[in-house]
Amino acid sequence: MVRGLTIVLIAACLCGCSKEARDLGPSLPQTRPVDDNDARITAYQDNLYQVSQGGRYFSWYGCSSCHTDTAKGDLNLTDDRWHSGSGFAHVFGSIADRHGRLGFGARVPVEQLWQLTAYVRDLPKHYPEKRRRVELDQSSEPQGSSWSGPQ
Amino acid sequence: MTRDQDRLDRLDATWRDAPGLWGFLTTVDHKRIAARYIVTALLLMFLAGMLALDMRLQLSVPENTRMSPQLFNESFSLHGSTMLFLVSVPAMEAMAFWLVPLMLGARNMAFPRLGAFSYWLYLGGVLTLWIAHAMDITPDLGWFEYPPLSGPSYSPGHRADIWAQMITFTEVAALAASVNVAATILKMRPPGMTLARMPVFLWAMLIASIMTILSMPSIMLVTSMLIADRLVSTHFFSPAGGGDVLLFQHLFWFFGHPEVYIIFIPATGFISSIVETFSKRPIFGHSALVMSLMSIGALAFGLWVHHMFAVGLPQLGNGFYTAASMAIAVPAGLQIFCWIGTMWAGRPWLATPMLWVLGFVATFVVGGLSGVMTASAALDLQLTDTYFVVAHLHYVLIGGGIFPLFGAFCYWYPKATGRLMSERWGQIAFALIVGGFNLGFFPMHLLGLMGMPRRVYTYPAGMGWETLNQVATAGSAIAVLGGLVFVANALISYWRGAPSGPDPWGGSTLEWASASPAPSWNVAYTPVVDSLTPMWNDGRPLRAMDGIAIERREVLVTSVTDATPLYRQLSASPSIWPLIASLAVAAMFLGSIFTPWAVAIGAVPIGAALIGWFWPTRPRASTGPLRARS
Amino acid sequence: MVGTAMTRLFAMLPFLLLAGCDGIQTPLSPAGDQASALHQLLMLMTIVCGVVYGVVLVGIGWSLWRGHNHTTAFGDTPGDDRRLSRGLWTAAAAIVIGLTVLVVGSFIADRALFATRGKNAMEVRVTGHQWWWRIEYRDSTTGRLIETANELHLPLGRTTRLTLGSADVIHSFWVPNVSGKIDMIPGRRNTLDLTPRHLGWFRGQCSEFCGAQHAHMAFDVKVESPAAFDVWLATQTRPAPPPLDAVAARGQAVFAGPCAACHVVRGTDASGRAGPDLTHLASRHSIAAGTLPMTRGGLQGWIAQPQALKPGTSMPAVSLAPADADAVAHYLETLR
Repeated sequence: MVRGLTIVLIAACLCGCSKEARDLGPSLPQTRPVDDNDARITAYQDNLYQVSQGGRYFSWYGCSSCHTDTAKGDLNLTDDRWHSGSGFAHVFGSIADRHGRLGFGARVPVEQLWQLTAYVRDLPKHYPEKRRRVELDQSSEPQGSSWSGPQ
Repeated sequence: MTRDQDRLDRLDATWRDAPGLWGFLTTVDHKRIAARYIVTALLLMFLAGMLALDMRLQLSVPENTRMSPQLFNESFSLHGSTMLFLVSVPAMEAMAFWLVPLMLGARNMAFPRLGAFSYWLYLGGVLTLWIAHAMDITPDLGWFEYPPLSGPSYSPGHRADIWAQMITFTEVAALAASVNVAATILKMRPPGMTLARMPVFLWAMLIASIMTILSMPSIMLVTSMLIADRLVSTHFFSPAGGGDVLLFQHLFWFFGHPEVYIIFIPATGFISSIVETFSKRPIFGHSALVMSLMSIGALAFGLWVHHMFAVGLPQLGNGFYTAASMAIAVPAGLQIFCWIGTMWAGRPWLATPMLWVLGFVATFVVGGLSGVMTASAALDLQLTDTYFVVAHLHYVLIGGGIFPLFGAFCYWYPKATGRLMSERWGQIAFALIVGGFNLGFFPMHLLGLMGMPRRVYTYPAGMGWETLNQVATAGSAIAVLGGLVFVANALISYWRGAPSGPDPWGGSTLEWASASPAPSWNVAYTPVVDSLTPMWNDGRPLRAMDGIAIERREVLVTSVTDATPLYRQLSASPSIWPLIASLAVAAMFLGSIFTPWAVAIGAVPIGAALIGWFWPTRPRASTGPLRARS
Repeated sequence: MVGTAMTRLFAMLPFLLLAGCDGIQTPLSPAGDQASALHQLLMLMTIVCGVVYGVVLVGIGWSLWRGHNHTTAFGDTPGDDRRLSRGLWTAAAAIVIGLTVLVVGSFIADRALFATRGKNAMEVRVTGHQWWWRIEYRDSTTGRLIETANELHLPLGRTTRLTLGSADVIHSFWVPNVSGKIDMIPGRRNTLDLTPRHLGWFRGQCSEFCGAQHAHMAFDVKVESPAAFDVWLATQTRPAPPPLDAVAARGQAVFAGPCAACHVVRGTDASGRAGPDLTHLASRHSIAAGTLPMTRGGLQGWIAQPQALKPGTSMPAVSLAPADADAVAHYLETLR
């Protein structure tokens, strides 16, 4: 029993916990996802740091000014209903190409689009209390072109 | 009374542990538990020291890219958390566990199974933090993770939760250990050892235990509040939600400041014992030392705001907390006077333990004085969060905690193992460690005064900080080398050291009455004490009494102030329940990192384990209520 | 033993101290009223504490020497104990007196730090972000806030009152040459008065661990004459001039894509508040919160590889064609 436990422990240590990994630095994909099964997707969608970075850029690029918590219809990102499919590449395309004159595809670097996509696809799984809590903490963060002052 | 072999054999039979792994898992022998604590703490000290060396290498060169900022932040967080929560306090508790019954002529602690439980829980904390590190979920926000940085919005994932729960493990373990030590010291002293005749070591352990009991709830509360903020979205530390970021700091430091005195006060106990023995005279100023310890213990609870001088609190408090923080130098200074006075009036003999006392005084006083400088609310605004305060904290914690610990280790090593450590290698280790430490950390005072902040993974070239950083790295490396020599000495002496006999130093307190190494039952008879130095006793022989049973595990319980015998208490036998209970508690603590339901569901196995633990094993007494005999 | 290492260190001490004495980020070279008061207190404390340490070392040395020569029999000696008791009271009195001196000194310095409260001062609002400084001067005539980033200008001899806040986590504002530090805490407004007395450039750095790039969150402080300060502030108030050549115009066009989403350049459509205001970027001493010099090389390096220079920074790596990157850098250099 002890031997089995040791093996499990060593295995856990070796594979690490990629969900929690924090890759700071220039190891960025500078190209869009190829399709919904692009091998790079898990490094973003399953990584808590990348998803949370997506959340911060969501505010900084001003997404939260339209996609509020009480938005209805298409603007509501928390209801798990997708305009053109929920696959990663589809949502990526929605953000980058289908926001009309906001033109995020040209204005937002590719790395950040990956993070934003991961965040948006994660949103339906967040509890409302957690979303509200994060919103309170980040109420002094800049939102697009507006900043309301320090907390 | 002479010891006959038959009595010793019967004591062996009563007090020995089962052989092999089962004995290892079920033992309630305070010496074996303490040995585990010390081995674990020393191993962690080594690991944390390696982290420190890694950081020092990183900082030797400006704009160094060897370590990523993530790795560096994890390193200083792990280093600080390990040293403060997993090494310093547990090592002091371990010395108490090991020495208190021996110094009281008692056969075990007041709550033997609770002692085993506290070790297993401490081990749980160690594994929580270090297995998380192996799995790359290392906490990376420092050893006091202030929100909002550690809150749900700026620290995604479970790293901060791992840190918070590691603290919960270690604090419950510390609480259990402290209750045990305090009860033993208050209620299990040998007849005649009134509070006035209690050695300073025991006073120190008693006061440190009471301080632990009073301060631990604060940190358990604050880390639970942090987990609640992160897990169930409470608003304790969310200003926009009606909470307050400073609440965390107040609650944390209300624990955090007494914590460093919980580390320092047992060290003063070690120093008092060593100075007494190696000056060959009773310690000068026993009352002054005891009252100094009490004042430090009390004052320590009124100083926590000095960790927050830069947060912009009302000016009115600055004068008060400055004066209080400086005032604690009075009892500390008086203690130093008493120790030096004892040496002055005695015949000091510089064996290795005494060398460590000298190293302690020379180093700790620097830390105390830099502490007086940072105690000023005004000047602290230039010194806090710089390398000056890094230097200060290491001088007081290493100089005032680790050096006495090393001295105590050398002093009581013969009692634990029956061997003597090599004096020559002890001196070499001492010189390397103390010299290396001072070379390594003194320059940090200057670096802080030259403007280098703390917790930075690199710094710009051209600030003039390179040379001192390199000196600091060299010194730290020398100190680590000395540490390796120290450990090698301890290991090699275990097999090849000269046999020590029961009392190689001519000690003054009761632990030197038992054999070396102390057998599982500690002492064959109960000593009767009528002086502060029972083993010297002004030349008279040490009296002993008989009467505690030897066919079953029994200890003597005495009154709190006068130590008059009250009754005989059945002492708990080896049991697997502490291990099972700690596994159940560990499961609940770890589960609550992921879901709040773990608290409710986890309570069931804990309840079951406690029921098993406390299941009555003997019939009710039929002799009526206990009465003290006149 | 311990002695040799310590003696050598103390001998080196004066030289090491002098080495850092005239730095641009040190409390040892006070350039303002607040830092001067604290510097005097530091000197007082160093002297008192140094004397105390000397006394302790002499005490140990004397005790060991005396003990070595001790010939009395084993046990305590009543005469010695009486002398030690008197010594204990003396030591207690000496410690209390010494600490009283230091407490009074601290109280006086503390009052000096608060001496300018209630007096008129120029208001500046400084907000900490991860990992840069948003600095806003209040225009006394219009009441509007004039925004800049990562560089603070102070008029010589006048008091500037900083209102410190944070947009995210706890930071700490510290310019050691001018004053002590004060934390920037979400949900609180802290005030710091600065009264500089020497001209020149100084450096400040964040002093409360605030995440991955805490080490690279610094800022520049320029103390200049009131006249020069007024000129500087007037320049900061103006919007950016239009681009003067084709390359700069191309740069501005490229900037309007990825850069404008996060940065403001007043006078253009670039209005993102997430990152530092770049309207007068080229007039600054450094970029990226004190990480790189404000030079062509610094600019191009930062734009091309922010994650390599400051891993984890919020500035994304934007992939630009080399000609576009050159144009943007050229354009930014015109934003004086």
